[in-house]
Order: sequence, then structure tokens, then C-alpha cells
Amino acid sequence: MDIDDLLAEVTADAIPKETRDLQELTRAWVAERVAPELLLYPDALMERVLERIRKQIELVEEQTGNMDPKSGFKLIIIQTELERFKFLVRSFLRARIKKIDSHPLHVLQTHTSNPTLLSPSELQYLTQHQALLSQHYASSFLSQFPAALQRLDDTAGGVSMIEKPDEDTAVFCRALRDVGEVVVEGTDKRFEIQRGDVSVIRWSAVRRAVLSGDIELI
Amino acid sequence: MYGEIGNKLVQHAKRTQSLAHLPPYQTEMVRAVTREVRDLDKDVAAILEPFAGSFDPSTEPATACALLVNHLCMRRNKRCLLAYHRVRSDKLEEMCWSGIDVLERQQQNPNRTGGEGSNTMGVDGNSSSLSPEEEEYVRQYSDLLAAYKGQWTDIDLTGSLDPPKDLFIDVRVLKDAGEIQTEYGAITLTKNSQFYVRQGDVERLIAQGYLQRLS
Repeated sequence: MDIDDLLAEVTADAIPKETRDLQELTRAWVAERVAPELLLYPDALMERVLERIRKQIELVEEQTGNMDPKSGFKLIIIQTELERFKFLVRSFLRARIKKIDSHPLHVLQTHTSNPTLLSPSELQYLTQHQALLSQHYASSFLSQFPAALQRLDDTAGGVSMIEKPDEDTAVFCRALRDVGEVVVEGTDKRFEIQRGDVSVIRWSAVRRAVLSGDIELI
Repeated sequence: MYGEIGNKLVQHAKRTQSLAHLPPYQTEMVRAVTREVRDLDKDVAAILEPFAGSFDPSTEPATACALLVNHLCMRRNKRCLLAYHRVRSDKLEEMCWSGIDVLERQQQNPNRTGGEGSNTMGVDGNSSSLSPEEEEYVRQYSDLLAAYKGQWTDIDLTGSLDPPKDLFIDVRVLKDAGEIQTEYGAITLTKNSQFYVRQGDVERLIAQGYLQRLS
């Protein structure tokens, strides 16, 4: 630990909690949009953010009748901020839904082994959507198929029907702390990543560091 | 035989991806591919019958090859069908998300473009471009979407995905939309008039084509 780390910790504590939540939300939003696979659902963070949004909406509703020009100006600022927050949350959730929809069975499998991946409502959406889809396939054509071919998660013949996201796509990332040596799997490339470094690298190589918060995606 | 129609279906699906609307459902082709799979399955059963469960691929390479080809064709056809339906259902889901009432549009369209569609596509008088299964799917998916959205009432999940820049925007009214209530009082939206309004209040109307955003 050197002086930079100490400074980082001091400044982190000095920032108010609200600002840090915004930072965290923005980070989660960027990461979710960049990372090829679904990331963990930030349960506590979302709860805090949603709670604050609700409070702000209440505040706005309360003060709308107020004709005082000064408070009107303040309201506009609050509303603008509110719209931005709503946009962040909306875009974040939509990015997740998009990933859930493109690899439903894979996500479901991963969720079974790691139950914090999805929020309860996302899980509900996923299972119901999947049920709808298979029912749709079945009534359209699959029910007339030979029984051996009716499955949607067949792995026979060496090819699995369940598609996975491409974990080897390149992502842009920035190191928040010294990470040390990173090895790119399948190649003999290995290099040091230090605090502040920006690199383009395979997702699979930095996955662990991103999840632990040492590296952020940009 | 052997995947030709399946290929056509996939081409259809590929074309659908770049179209703004949904072309008519290829009932005939889907049926033909399904029939092909069933025929192939019967073939396999017929080939295997004389062996009574004791088939040894290494002693009969020719038969084994025929079986393999049949099996692969069945799997391929299944993939083609799945892909075709997936592309279409994705498209329908997208419409649900963007707030287009697919079913309503289906009922309006036949009057305008039904005749033209049946000429070019060779659809036998069936005016809807959705199969009955797809209509059912859309109905259930919109319910599902509404249920999921209902848990995020504050956020409005189907709202705009462009980052908001201004709280207020200029809009022009393209179609009479009647009166709407905003925090600043009621506004009557008559055709060709222009307003400076809060974006959140009119987003839905822009999406539905009543208003146009002026930049």
C-alpha cells in the first residue's frame, strides 16, 4: 500500500454516500452494457437508488403547486436530475433484459449455480418468457416432431443447443487498483496491469478482476 | 427433400431481420419442413426395422451413412424452424417493447395492403401476417411485459433509451390528440400547433406518432 492507495481511501470516504451510489450505478450501467455476459444484480444499490427516486418524485409532486419562482427553478433542477437517474436505471435494466433474452437457457443455468445473478422479478420474467417461447414453438411445429427431437436443450451429436455469450470478445477497461499479472488464456501473452492503465483485452482474461472491483469497464 | 425448404425458410428469416414490418407467416413452408422431418423419421424407422435393435454400424457402413444423413437432416430442419420462429418472435417482442399494438395493426392492415400482399407473397386470402400461434404469443408476451414493467412504475421501462438532455422540448402536433393533463395545466393538442412541454409528459405520444420532436 503506498501513498496513492491511502489517498484513494481518504477521498472515497469524503464523498457523500449519494454521490458514491451514483458513481456505482454509472459503473454498473457501463459494465453491463459492455460486458458480453450478464453480471450480478446489484441488489442493495438498486434498492437505495429506487428509494431515492421515489422520494424525489414525492418531493416534486408536493411542490408542484408552489408558484414561488425560486422553488420552481429548484424543481426544474430536481426533475432534470430525476430524469437522468431514471434513464440510468431504465437503460441498465433494459441492457440486462436484452442479455437475458438472447441467452435465456444459459442465464438460467448460471443462475441456478449462482442465485444472486438475477433479481427475483428478472427470474420470473425469464422463466415465464421461456415457458411462452417453448409453448409457441411446440404449438407451431415442435409437437409434430418425433419425440426424440422435441427438446430445446439437446446436447446430443456433440453440439449443445444452448448458446453461450462469447466470453472472448475484447473489452475496454481501466484499472482502479494494481492488479498484477494478467494471463490471456489460450495464448502466451501475460502482462502487468497497474493502477490507471487503460487496455483492450479479452473479457475472459479480466473477468475476475472486474467482478472484484479492481478493474472497471469503460 | 433434404433441407431445401428449410434453407428457404432461413433465407426468409434473414430477409425478415432487415425489414421494418413482419412479412406473412409461411404456413406452407413450415408445414412442408415438419412433414419432411416426419418422413425422414419414418425412413429411419424403416431402415432400422430389419435389424431389430441389433444394428452394428461397422458391419454395414452404407446403411449407417444413410442413417447419419437422415439424422443430420432432421436436426438441421429443426434448427431452421427454430431460427425462423425465433427471428419472428424477436421482432414481435421488439414491437411490444416499442409500444406498437401488433394485433391492432394486423386488423387494420388487410384493408390497405391485404390485396397487394397476397399478390406478391402468394398467401391464399389470409390477411394477417401472423400465424394464430404467433398472435397468441404476442398476447401473452404483452401481458408478461406489462407485469414486469408494473414492478418498475417509477422508471417507465419502455421509455426513451436516449439520454435525456433537456427537461422541456419543442414538439409539433401531427395528429389531433385531444387534451392532455400536465403539471402546468391542460394542453389541447390540435394539428399543426407547436408546444414547449416536458419531455416525460409527451414521450408516449411521440412514440405513437401523434407528436414530432423539433430539434
